[in-house]
Amino acid sequence: MSSTAHQPAAPIQPYRTGLRPEIMGLIIFLVSELALFGAFFMYYANLRLLKAIDWPGGFHIPAEATSINTLVLVLSSFTCEFALLALYRRNKAGVFFGLLATFVLGTIFLGLQVYEYMTIGFTPQDGSIGAIFFSLTGLHGIHVFIGLVLLLLGMVRAVRGRWTRERHSGLLAISIYWHFVDIVWVVLFTVVYLLPSS
Amino acid sequence: MTAVLKPTLARCLWVAPAFAAIAILITVAARALVGMDPVLQESTLLTVAYIAGGIGFVVGIGGFDYWWTWMTGGELDPNDHSTHGAKSWRDYFKFNTDHKVIGIQYVVFTFIMFLVGGMFAMVFRSELARPAAQSLSPEQYNGLLSQHGVIMIFVFLVPVFAGIGNYVIPLMIGAADMAFPRLNALSFWLLPVAAFTLLTSFMFGSFDAGWTGYPTLSQQSGYGMTLYQLGVQLAGASSIATAVNFLVTIITMRAPGMTLFRMPLLVWANLATSALVVAATPFIAGAMFMAMFDREMGTHFFTIGGGGDTLVYQHIFWFYSHPAVYIMILPGFGIISEVIATHSRKPIFGYRAVAFSSAGIAILGFAVWAHHMFASGMQPWLRVPIMISTLLIAIPTGIKIFSWLGTLWGGVVRLTTANLFAVGFIFTFVIGGLSGVMVAVVPFDVSITNSYFIVAHFHYVLFGGSIMTVYAGFYHWYPKVTGRMYNELLGRWHFWITFVALNVTFFPMHYLGLLGMPRRVMDYDPQFAWMNTLISIAAFVLGASTLIFVYNMIHSARHGKLAGANPWAGLTLEWMLSSPPPTFNFPTTPRVIGGPYRYGEEGARHAIIPEAEPASVEKVGA
Repeated sequence: MSSTAHQPAAPIQPYRTGLRPEIMGLIIFLVSELALFGAFFMYYANLRLLKAIDWPGGFHIPAEATSINTLVLVLSSFTCEFALLALYRRNKAGVFFGLLATFVLGTIFLGLQVYEYMTIGFTPQDGSIGAIFFSLTGLHGIHVFIGLVLLLLGMVRAVRGRWTRERHSGLLAISIYWHFVDIVWVVLFTVVYLLPSS
Repeated sequence: MTAVLKPTLARCLWVAPAFAAIAILITVAARALVGMDPVLQESTLLTVAYIAGGIGFVVGIGGFDYWWTWMTGGELDPNDHSTHGAKSWRDYFKFNTDHKVIGIQYVVFTFIMFLVGGMFAMVFRSELARPAAQSLSPEQYNGLLSQHGVIMIFVFLVPVFAGIGNYVIPLMIGAADMAFPRLNALSFWLLPVAAFTLLTSFMFGSFDAGWTGYPTLSQQSGYGMTLYQLGVQLAGASSIATAVNFLVTIITMRAPGMTLFRMPLLVWANLATSALVVAATPFIAGAMFMAMFDREMGTHFFTIGGGGDTLVYQHIFWFYSHPAVYIMILPGFGIISEVIATHSRKPIFGYRAVAFSSAGIAILGFAVWAHHMFASGMQPWLRVPIMISTLLIAIPTGIKIFSWLGTLWGGVVRLTTANLFAVGFIFTFVIGGLSGVMVAVVPFDVSITNSYFIVAHFHYVLFGGSIMTVYAGFYHWYPKVTGRMYNELLGRWHFWITFVALNVTFFPMHYLGLLGMPRRVMDYDPQFAWMNTLISIAAFVLGASTLIFVYNMIHSARHGKLAGANPWAGLTLEWMLSSPPPTFNFPTTPRVIGGPYRYGEEGARHAIIPEAEPASVEKVGA
């Protein structure tokens, strides 16, 4: 299984789909992420809708406090988009500070979620509803954490001047991923926190 | 000395344990910091160590080197192809981004796993040869049985098709490589981690709840059960990454002129399979996560006492695992279409119908999961719709079989070993398909559920189906991969022994099942004794037949006669290249000018590779 001499790889021109391959790959990956969340949402729907199981011991789900947190995360989507806009306007500092603002907002969100975990009054071991509450929000929390790491790396690349108006698929990917995490949270917040007790 | 710092297996030896140790430290420290008992259970720490160690292995082999440099804004040379292509056998043990190298890595590794899984079957078949317990304890028996299923499905059948696709598909569509070569290598190197996780579960009390791992039974198993749940997730992550790669490759990297309906059918099959993998695999990850949390964190997803619901596990599990059946057979269908058209010198009969039937199977595959649960006590109203959808899925499958028969009919059939396996596949797969229609019918299924009839059915579709197509594919592309011909005589011996032994092994199981012999039990009624002895003997012959294959493949790679570029006179793009193909495949971008199966037409061509000219091709890709 030898190979012949090194030849310059003639780049094969892709079919024009309007999407860069890496962005298309990311979107397909997000479809599979959606399915992963879907598995947990299916379990949750079975519990809350079919079996009408409520929060353990009549606990009050902190919808008001978490709605503020939701606003924080939604706002971070806008700052993330600001970073991209700044790139298009060739505003290098804007890219960095847009990402930084997103990072800070994301960290606040994650911190408030951890605080909620510690004060909510039930644990993952409290029945199936406790298990699904912590695993749904926890699964999302891990995604936020991964997003924060990506944002941090995006900032490192911004400082080193690696994002250009012409080549920035990575930054675009980070922002799409961040929006995805945000949208999943809005859905999660609606069905977990706002669904009235039966 | 530098070997331990460069991306090699030697580096894995210290990076993986280091990652595991750091992860344990972080877990203990974090728990101590918030005032919880630092060690909840030892097994939880072991799980953490396995996860981090697995990531460490992939880091050690070099899976993240490039990305790390890229993400931290370091200097990268876009023309650095040092990890691309193999110059000696050592390169096959390294992180390599060439799809041809990865394809070989996949196929060899998964085939070794096939032999391991087969060995487990040999062991418990020797136990089953006589009634009552002889050599194995019930725990060992259950463990071997479960390992056999899991190894065969998750580290052989699912990834072996990714391996064949990896080698062949970029060649077939006229691309230089896959869309994401590094992701491709990463998804291969996750597989050894998955296999290691599954196989080392023997050390901690192996999982013994069957390959499905249903709770509540799985909650009573030893720690190996957690490793099963972890191993399945690792293998699943690997197959999702490959599927994303295949989809993007097939959508964006086809050579000019290769419209959707000029794609070879294997490409179609992989497109449908990859879509299935992307949409379905996360569900098994979800089920495994929940079951794992139950075991390792004391949650109550599926424990009855804690308000859990065991049936939901089965729903989520089969929502992946039924599409997984098609993940394990659709690429095989593609291979059979290639082999039969090429070796019968005829255009595929009903090309578009076959292409659409792949898509049809992929879509319908999501609507049939609950037929695994007819006897589980699920909602009764779900039974009849699922029965109907299950019967419907026989139609696109029937279309394919009709197409293969129509292609063979009146063709100049050359019974090479590849084609023998393809024709033999049609025979055995139809048996498996027909028993599949039988078990889809609710009353029949309820009466034979959990019996050997089911074992007979899925071994006919997985061995008589998938594995026959894998062999057909191996023999068909062997000259392309190695540049040498396999030994045709040994190939025929391999086929006939496999074919006869396979039928003698699995056909009597139908009868045993109808008589009521339950599956997954090591003891059985003495009246079944002679038939089980026969099955065991045939199973050993079946196991031995793989040795002929292994010998043939290894010996012919060195001593076979040279194959030349196109020993089968195939028309698809891979046969227009030398055997084995050059590192970057095509010297210039090929132009596709016609359908892929224009056999029998005078001077028909599928594609042309233009003479090299001063390229002024626009630079693409980041």
